[in-house]
Amino acid sequence: MRIKVLAFAGFREALGKERELDVRDGATVGEALQALAESLPRFKEEAFEQSGAIRDYVLLMVNRKRIDPLQDLSRRLQDGDELAVFPPVAGG
Amino acid sequence: MMPLIEITEEEISIDQLMRRARRPEAGAIVSFTGTVRDDGIEQMVVEAFPEAAKAEMQAIVDEATGRFSLLSAGVVHRTGSLAVGESIVAIVCSAAHRQEAFDGCRYIIEELKSRVPIWKKEIGKDGGRWVEGMR
Repeated sequence: MRIKVLAFAGFREALGKERELDVRDGATVGEALQALAESLPRFKEEAFEQSGAIRDYVLLMVNRKRIDPLQDLSRRLQDGDELAVFPPVAGG
Repeated sequence: MMPLIEITEEEISIDQLMRRARRPEAGAIVSFTGTVRDDGIEQMVVEAFPEAAKAEMQAIVDEATGRFSLLSAGVVHRTGSLAVGESIVAIVCSAAHRQEAFDGCRYIIEELKSRVPIWKKEIGKDGGRWVEGMR
């Protein structure tokens, strides 16, 4: 299946603004992030600790709803889902 | 006419927001404008996740309207490349009395800063630096 990945701020500089990502059917959010990390070392460095854990400043939305980067990495994605990756917000 | 909740690359018109906040029942209109401060920077680049940001701004305005009995609330956030002194964000609230209008305006800017998916990059002589956000 194919999902859309949007990235913002520092993560946009590593991932590009928008890309399509092919993942296995039923892939989880965590698997999608791993796939991105494997193909883009810069993203891996910025988003993951040496231990492989996701860094605490990685924020995520699926279909424009915030998900918890600690609790919800096992959430399954569906074909056509939009996964957004961004750092803590700093507007205003 | 500029919508009351907007993300725009155009210069923000506070006058337009003020005009649209006027109501016969209103006794107070309070505005807040956030501007680019010269912290030794040459410009500020503002980036948004526009669809998600507008939805969150609408949710915050709805909360503020309910909590503080606002008669109107408008929020406009700028994106793109801004010079020192330019407006980044403008908020205008009207209410029957000043207390509600002040409180509503304060609530909207504080919630916006902690919840709305927008980021700022300070561009200086030696390159850029993303402003550290709230977690």
